[in-house]
Amino acid sequence: MKPRNTLFTLARRVLAVSLVALIFAVNGGVAFAAEEAAVAPAGETAIAPVGQPAPVLTEESYPLLGGGSSRVKVWIVAQLHLFFAAFVLGVPIFVLVIEGIGMATGDKRYDAMAKEFIKISMVAFSFTATLGGILLFLLAMLYPDFTVYSLKIFRPILIAYALLFFGESLCLYIYYYGWEAMSSGFGKWVHLTVGLLLNAAGMTLMVLSNSWATFMMAPSGVTPDGAFLGDVWAVMHGPLWNPINLHRFIANIAYGGSIVGAYAAYKFLTAKAPEEKAHYDWMGYTANFIAVVGLLPLPFAGYWLTKELYAYSQQMGITLMGGIFAWLFIIQALLIGAIFLGANYYLWLGLVRVPGGEAYRKAIGWMATVLLVCFLVWFTPHTIIMTSSEIKALGGAHHPVLGALGVMSAKNTAVNIMILTTFLAFLLYQRAGKIPKVGWARGGNAALAALFAAGAANIVTLGIYGYYIPANIRIGLSVPQVFTTLFVIAAASLINGVMYRGASETGPTRWGDMPARSQYALFLLAVSFTWLMGLMGYVRSGIRQHWHVYTVFRDYSPDAFTPTLGYAANVVSVTVLIFMAMVIFIFWLDNFSRKKAAHK
Amino acid sequence: MKRIPKLALTVGLIAAVYGLFVAVFTYILHLPVPASVMKMYMFFVTVVVLLVMTSNEDSARELVAPLEALVYQPRLRRLRAAVFIVAPLAGFGLTYNVTRPTLDAPLELRTVHPAPPNSVKVFGKTYNLLTLENPYRAKEKSDLEAFRQAVEEGKTVYFQNCHYCHGDKLDGKGHFSGGFNNPLPANFTDVGTIAQLQESFLFWRIATGGPGLPNEGAPWASPMPVWSNYLTEDEIWKVILFLYDYTGYAPRVMKEEKGHS
Amino acid sequence: MKTLAQILAFSLMVVGGYSWFSNSIPQLRAEPPSEESVSLEGMTMESFVALGQTIFEGKGTCPLCHNAVGHRAPLLVEAGSDGPPVAARAPSRLADGRYHGTASKPEEYLRESMVSPSAFVVEGFGKPGTGDSVSPMPDVSAGSIKLSPVEIDAVIAYMQSAAGVDITVPLPTEAVETAESAPADEGAVKDMGALAEKYECKLCHIVPGVDMAGEAPDMGPDLNGLKRYAKGAPDKLPLREYLRLSIVEPNRHVAQGFEPDTMPPDFADRMRVSELDLAVESLARAAEGGK
Repeated sequence: MKPRNTLFTLARRVLAVSLVALIFAVNGGVAFAAEEAAVAPAGETAIAPVGQPAPVLTEESYPLLGGGSSRVKVWIVAQLHLFFAAFVLGVPIFVLVIEGIGMATGDKRYDAMAKEFIKISMVAFSFTATLGGILLFLLAMLYPDFTVYSLKIFRPILIAYALLFFGESLCLYIYYYGWEAMSSGFGKWVHLTVGLLLNAAGMTLMVLSNSWATFMMAPSGVTPDGAFLGDVWAVMHGPLWNPINLHRFIANIAYGGSIVGAYAAYKFLTAKAPEEKAHYDWMGYTANFIAVVGLLPLPFAGYWLTKELYAYSQQMGITLMGGIFAWLFIIQALLIGAIFLGANYYLWLGLVRVPGGEAYRKAIGWMATVLLVCFLVWFTPHTIIMTSSEIKALGGAHHPVLGALGVMSAKNTAVNIMILTTFLAFLLYQRAGKIPKVGWARGGNAALAALFAAGAANIVTLGIYGYYIPANIRIGLSVPQVFTTLFVIAAASLINGVMYRGASETGPTRWGDMPARSQYALFLLAVSFTWLMGLMGYVRSGIRQHWHVYTVFRDYSPDAFTPTLGYAANVVSVTVLIFMAMVIFIFWLDNFSRKKAAHK
Repeated sequence: MKRIPKLALTVGLIAAVYGLFVAVFTYILHLPVPASVMKMYMFFVTVVVLLVMTSNEDSARELVAPLEALVYQPRLRRLRAAVFIVAPLAGFGLTYNVTRPTLDAPLELRTVHPAPPNSVKVFGKTYNLLTLENPYRAKEKSDLEAFRQAVEEGKTVYFQNCHYCHGDKLDGKGHFSGGFNNPLPANFTDVGTIAQLQESFLFWRIATGGPGLPNEGAPWASPMPVWSNYLTEDEIWKVILFLYDYTGYAPRVMKEEKGHS
Repeated sequence: MKTLAQILAFSLMVVGGYSWFSNSIPQLRAEPPSEESVSLEGMTMESFVALGQTIFEGKGTCPLCHNAVGHRAPLLVEAGSDGPPVAARAPSRLADGRYHGTASKPEEYLRESMVSPSAFVVEGFGKPGTGDSVSPMPDVSAGSIKLSPVEIDAVIAYMQSAAGVDITVPLPTEAVETAESAPADEGAVKDMGALAEKYECKLCHIVPGVDMAGEAPDMGPDLNGLKRYAKGAPDKLPLREYLRLSIVEPNRHVAQGFEPDTMPPDFADRMRVSELDLAVESLARAAEGGK
């Protein structure tokens, strides 16, 4: 039974991976073909537009609804909608994977955990839909001309959107309510297929709605004055569409993981029985693992997005990185730093529950030092805030040493080393309490150490080299740095995996044996992820500045200005708090239903 | 060897890192550290040290134990009382220090060397700064005597008008320099000022003074007079000659214009 | 419950910390650019060049890429590693084998470079992968920059002045500007039918002597009964006087049974004097004839 099961899992995994790959490939392939086709007529402008040019409005064209800024209302509702959407799209991805693992290993715990994950996302799913409805209502009420303009263009997609939404709901309900009924034999296969369909529908929904946002940032398929050319596909497939799709896909996984982690942490802290504590400890560990695995490739997806953004419009790129949003990235640095520290701290504490984990305690100090140094470099702003007496003492506003840490070469180096260090913490946790049986263990360890040392040396050397070459060549250096990081991660996982195959354990992991503060690290992750998403949502939307649709449909409303960072941060904070209140309500609902069930 | 108690170790570590920062910047690099950066650095150092110290149960317990004892142990009554008086007072002092009004000018982000315009209108004429040259510069090769004469006259102009702020050694430490905040009078002996600039840039800065700065240079902050109201064109060119002559720097010339400084 | 409160407190602290930090760094608010039009009155070449510089640095956002630091685009108004300022190097561009535009004079080359930048791409500044055949620069007469032809001329004048070459663009005349901005005025209309059409009198009034296409609007008084309304007015003005004032100042006397503020008050600004005379005369005659 067992080997057959493993075989099935393998097939299942391959199937799952290839389906995800297929969705992307189809997307990319069609996109590529369309791109080829679109290049030809661009120079000739032979196509006659079928739509009206974007309207020219006045402040009176924007109805008011109650007091307060219309933009803030739409902003908060849209962001809440996105929080929930990201969560309900992210969760089914890893639920499917976990269910597959459960089926492969025959370990019922995986199956139970997968079901619990999907249960949390059920209420969130209806919140997503409700918030989407409110958003549409608000847009139509407060920005009628814009809504009409975009609906005219996106009309065919809306029909597909509605159908897909219906399909997704159907899949979700069958997937969740049919879990027990389809728990064995062929039924399980059907169940997994439904899960796959659920993900396919969800992902398609996401890329459809992404096209709306990317059209507003980098319009395509319209004339320079905004008249629709008649091809919806050309509108959807703008220059930023695929970068945003990939970025959101990865971020959804990380985000879903972090929220589920917060759920597990909450249950852990309120659990009384040891076995319950053990279960939620394990769940929190898994969720944190998912969140960090999602987080690691995220900067690279971000690079791609920024690169495409620069290619689309240098002006937009400079507004983002050097204009009024330059200071935003120091806030982003703080948040990413908090997330890295939180995730690492959780891993360090995790060594507590592994017998034999003490052996790696000494490494914590060193890893923390490396993280700290990187973080300080990562956080040093390019333009330093100084009082006038400090400028006097320095003899100018430019600090020769700290200023040098503010440039891209230093930042890229720091973030790559931070990623490597976090990965190392993972690796050490994996090794804790295990004794390898292979004869070449000593050599393997030496190889691993050499790999890390060489990787770090390469990254640092490239970073220092960056100071000696002009800016336009320097930007290209981030690519070899990233590949070094990815290579070290891949090679080290491989060596370590082979080396510890069939290793003997010094004792079972003591799940549930975790101090309470470790769970607060999980909360920190969830809150920081949410806040970071809100912040980056603001900048993604904000770089359009005074345009509804960049360069073609100007914003004439009283809110056309770009708000200050502090103001935006306050809006984000309020949104995050509302979101958390709703999430806590969902957690409470879950507990409430259980109490009822217990009474019966 | 006796182990150092965790609490002492924590405090000691944070203090040591602080000391290290100060030592490196003050004694090795001879540079001040801006307080805003130092505060951030120390905040993160404190956080990371605390995270490491609490990264396993034994260590965390050991760290917290003395603090718990301070609150609960009957025999530490006196110390407790002292701490409970001193700690709020320290908090009060800190808050007072942060919020008390000071004579410091408010923070301002200001570009020190703003990009010059391409032309400038003074003395009723338009000067193209891209092609503008010091009429006396050529004399350095053709007629050295006349050149020295012009430098001498520039020296007179300098000491009659400029040295009050820019100093008799041209180091920006004139009699009045103590009265300025940001910007300070330029230090011409520094490699970062006139040595990096063309003579036409100096002409522009002297002729239009503080009010002639573009917005990013914060024209409202600079007290430099608009010298075209007080000096002649000729006097400005001569004083520029003197600045380069005294400091021994050569003005930057067009042909070198490559890449960024 | 205690756990929940602790979690909430912790989250509030974290969120508050992020908010506090974001508010502690320099705050900038970007206003949308104003859309004021350029006044061409008393324009000299000197001020036209100055206008060009303002547009170059402001609305045109040219130095965003064309600067000495970023190496994103060749320098335009300064000399540098790209050679002399652009207006001075234009003749050599026209002679270059890689040039495939339609310009024959340096001024035309400059204008072409702004509206179709790919006509000549300076080596090393093309879009990556296109072998310097496609320029990454946007068309400045469209998109988010959207300079008018006069504004483009001003920028050319500025670039020529900066390069120290002769300024060849002509000063804009008033005629050019009105043709650009104000919608063309087709002149005064000559008959009542066209006038009722142009000022949309027919939307609210039944106008005597004009083809109403079967409509009988009742938003305003039926102009066949003008005499009666004139008599009903308290100041008892002569018919033509009453009519003229009622057009330029509609709320002066509102006929019984109609709402004030219904008729637009701006006909005095919009109508030409000859048109007002035409309307008064034609309506008065119709009213008298209908007696």
